[in-house]
Amino acid sequence: MLILDLTVQGLVQGAIYALIALGLTLVYGLLRILHVAHAALFTLGAYLGVIITNQTGSFALALVVAMVVVGVVGIGIYRFAYKPMLSQPPLVALIASIGLFIASEEIYRLVFGAYSISFTDPPLQTQVEILPGISLSYARLMVVGIALVFLSVLGWLSASTRTGIAWRATVTDPDMARSCGINIENVRYLNFFIGSALAAAAGVMVALLNNQVEPTMGAVPSYKALAIIVMGGLGSVRGTLAASLALGVIEAFGTIYIGHLLDRDAIAFAFLILVLMIRPQGLLAKG
Amino acid sequence: MSFKLHAITLAAGFALSALTAPVLAEPIKIGFNVPLTGFAAADGNSALMGAQLAVDQVNGAGGINGDMLELVVYDDQASPKEAAPLAVKLTTQDEVVAGISGSYSGSTRAAATIFQENSTPYISAYAIHPDITRAGDYVFRTSFMGEVQGRAGAKLIGEMLGLKRVVVITLNNDFGTSLAAGFKEKAADFGIEIVAEYEYSIKDREFGPIVSSIKADAPDAIYASGYFFTAGPLVRQLRAAGVTATVVGQEGYDGQKFIEIAGPDAEGVIITTSLDRDSTDPVVTSFMAGFAAKAGYPADMVGASGHTAVLVMAEAMRQAGATDKAALRDALAATTLDAATGHISFNGLGEVRKDVQVQIVKDGGWHHYTVISDPVLLAPPEQ
Repeated sequence: MLILDLTVQGLVQGAIYALIALGLTLVYGLLRILHVAHAALFTLGAYLGVIITNQTGSFALALVVAMVVVGVVGIGIYRFAYKPMLSQPPLVALIASIGLFIASEEIYRLVFGAYSISFTDPPLQTQVEILPGISLSYARLMVVGIALVFLSVLGWLSASTRTGIAWRATVTDPDMARSCGINIENVRYLNFFIGSALAAAAGVMVALLNNQVEPTMGAVPSYKALAIIVMGGLGSVRGTLAASLALGVIEAFGTIYIGHLLDRDAIAFAFLILVLMIRPQGLLAKG
Repeated sequence: MSFKLHAITLAAGFALSALTAPVLAEPIKIGFNVPLTGFAAADGNSALMGAQLAVDQVNGAGGINGDMLELVVYDDQASPKEAAPLAVKLTTQDEVVAGISGSYSGSTRAAATIFQENSTPYISAYAIHPDITRAGDYVFRTSFMGEVQGRAGAKLIGEMLGLKRVVVITLNNDFGTSLAAGFKEKAADFGIEIVAEYEYSIKDREFGPIVSSIKADAPDAIYASGYFFTAGPLVRQLRAAGVTATVVGQEGYDGQKFIEIAGPDAEGVIITTSLDRDSTDPVVTSFMAGFAAKAGYPADMVGASGHTAVLVMAEAMRQAGATDKAALRDALAATTLDAATGHISFNGLGEVRKDVQVQIVKDGGWHHYTVISDPVLLAPPEQ
């Protein structure tokens, strides 16, 4: 029973990782930039989620507004930080991204205060029994639900719409895409909007699970999401999904059975090393 | 370009002259390293608020024999690599008479060594690592060591609450491990059976797997070390999963934020700490009122600790003056004072001897539960 329970807990955590890491992998696939500041958008989403819910009483509204606003901020980061550096080696953008992330933590602290903020009346806390003996709160179920819905929509968009085809074309060969009349700037804007909005959704849900938003809450996702996209085979959406879920489950079991030897992050990186030793190209990437 | 350079030189000149301008009465400078940015900024702000309140009170009452106190405050980000150079700066460049740490254990240990090397008295306000006072005879601590508080936790659970089947959840930093060490050292003496142990890191906020496993352990009580930002989510997740065992924490939980995060699930959580909010002692009530007025939020353990450390230093300065550091050190060692965190006196190692306060969350606030006065159990090490 504990094994089943741990698996479920791991999948919930994996769904959160997936929402965060997906934006990162999209950016990497498109621009070859390791977008560390992505985790800052996760935190911003969490802050907006709590503040708007507390002000309006509507969690749904907060989730939507947080995703849209953070999506726009993501576009801003591309337009004003990365775009001017595209002609430089990717390392330049990486360093800018790290700087942006560190600055964001202190900006949040100045704007929202050093203390964490919480929902005054956290919604979706009721427990439901999903399997005999295993119950989850609606909040946890919603994490999985949101990940499933958004990722399926994304999959459908990229496979079956003109925009999606333009997107994939740009990822594969930007120059060829441009010469076929695709506005690759628009593709990039859309890419940042979607990736950032997903990070915001993850932030809002994590805020709800922990009932706590703090300036430094992006610290762990900032590097763990990097590990996930490496594990997934840089730029691969399906690989990222698989790596996220696998990592969630591995961490859940690791915390209980080897937690006294390795902490959660150490387990994650030990797993990363193991994966890279066996499959250097990533979990699902083709050799 | 040359105009810009000129302007900068001019501005620098002004700034320099402002710095070197003569002041009428030289204040007594006390160094204060505290995390004002980074993950520990919230505690740092409270500590600084409490310390400044104490300085205001001392100065408002005429200072130290007529001289005003002044804190020289530096942000150490709770990081040893920040704290060490700051301690050098405080002791050599700023020439402070004494220092106080409003910071965590790592940074306080790093700074303590440097204060000791410079023969400058230094007080750790709430950092709990045992090695801090072992830096030497110039280093003191006005809060409990982790081990001492851990032992108090064992007595509280095993004897006072009468709960025997206990799960121990340990934060895997110096704070959590020293608490767990003290707890485990005395657990058997109070008839406690430790049915399971878990560890987590300070970055964890998601305890789903541990909670699942504790459900299977079915303990009477959970002894969980942590800070409000880890304990808040932990308690919420435990209760959400239907775990009803009594949760016993420590001073890291202390503060309104814990209750805000855990919400109604905070009710009934018990902690060992050093501030009794329901005390009618005027020393405590005046601190509580002064802190709330200055900070705009209710007093917490960290704020009370910052306040206590400054008052203890001020008391020693009243006795020995503020010019001779060796005399000040001797006066500190002999100081006894009733402060917001209890009756303070030091043992030979510079460790505080005082009672442990036990507080419980009731009706959305921390309240008096009991006091543990057991000088033998709570005796800090002498070396």
